[in-house]
Amino acid sequence: MAEEDAIFDPTLVKKKKKKKTTFDLDAALADESSNPVTTTTSSAVENEESTENAGNEIDHDFDLENLGKKKKKKVKKPLNMDELETALQEANEETSAAIDIEGEDGMDDTFDLEKMKKKKKKKADINELLDQENENVDVNNTDQWHGSDRDYTYDELLNRIFEIILEKNPDMAAGRKPKFVMRPPQVLRVGTKKTSFANFTEICKTLHRQQKHLLDFLLAELGTSGSVDGNSQLIIKGRFQPKQIENVLRRYIKEYVTCHTCRSPETILQKDTRLFFLQCESCGSRCSVASIKSGFQAVTGKRSAIRAKNA
Amino acid sequence: MSIQNLNTFDPFAEGNEEDVQDGLVHIRIQQRNGRKTLTTVQGLSSNYDLKKIVRTCKKEFACNGTVIEHPEYGEVLQLQGDQRENICQFLTKMGLVKQEQLKVHGF
Ligand SMILES: [Zn+2]
Repeated sequence: MAEEDAIFDPTLVKKKKKKKTTFDLDAALADESSNPVTTTTSSAVENEESTENAGNEIDHDFDLENLGKKKKKKVKKPLNMDELETALQEANEETSAAIDIEGEDGMDDTFDLEKMKKKKKKKADINELLDQENENVDVNNTDQWHGSDRDYTYDELLNRIFEIILEKNPDMAAGRKPKFVMRPPQVLRVGTKKTSFANFTEICKTLHRQQKHLLDFLLAELGTSGSVDGNSQLIIKGRFQPKQIENVLRRYIKEYVTCHTCRSPETILQKDTRLFFLQCESCGSRCSVASIKSGFQAVTGKRSAIRAKNA
Repeated sequence: MSIQNLNTFDPFAEGNEEDVQDGLVHIRIQQRNGRKTLTTVQGLSSNYDLKKIVRTCKKEFACNGTVIEHPEYGEVLQLQGDQRENICQFLTKMGLVKQEQLKVHGF
């Protein structure tokens, strides 16, 4: 908390300073280097504190690569602070508004060297500068071990691996397995009596099932008829809501896609002597699944039409 | 509702050991014109008197219904409207079909 308090003041002033310059970055850069009067108006203590601040931020950077880009630096500096102190942001919203947009780009790494260069230009006092540099290095090394010969502690490594895992797999934040996700079915009405299942083929592909199999199931379950048209969308006779199609799809996945033993969706559906078997790629289980039958279908059309057809 | 004897139990018939439901009962829904639907119940044991069942159902669910003789599926119950929920409750409450023997299809 004490640290945060110390940070509070400099950032406030800094952001305001930055705001002035964000309008024309190049000009501002030039300004800063040519006439130091404008920037050094803020006290030396303040600058010192801000570098300390910068040192803390560095801990969060894993790759320090794009040092070359000069233009972005200016924006980046206040940016990172935003990330660190979100609470601060609320306090001075007007100043950070412009910066926030940049923040979404996620370009928040590496500014320490530039910062120091700038400082060099800004500051006449070389001793102070040297102190700062030392400080920077110190802060850098206390948390991360590169540059030192000491062994990593187990806890450090453990934290590091979990941080990396979390960073790469945001889904795992809650500690659960990455879930099987599928795009919801796009269901539209066609005229008054038909329904289009627009992404039918796409869903077949994501489920790794043959179109015919899913088609048979859908039509049998819905007790209707239908076919895939030229635009690879499924046209079903009857009116159906997206929710209803989704329900049927859910049942299909439960019966014919996910493993009945371990629920893994990595399965293969094989036909073997008139029976379908679900072979799991994850646990190796193999079990027979219900065959698709329409069963009894009541006469729903015009009886006269049927009579005419049969006659 | 008066409990009727929905079983047609004949003690002298041969091979009558399956006097209760053994297979799955499929309950399906079909769309008709407009918002109209039809519920079919296929697979009820042939030992049950479907005519009696349909008579009771018609009264209970306030809908029309009929029994259709099908060459492959035997006697099939057909009720007007979406009676899937009703018929499931009815069949289990009457002890004609066990919950796990019911297979409800449709949306
Ligand atoms: Zn499995």
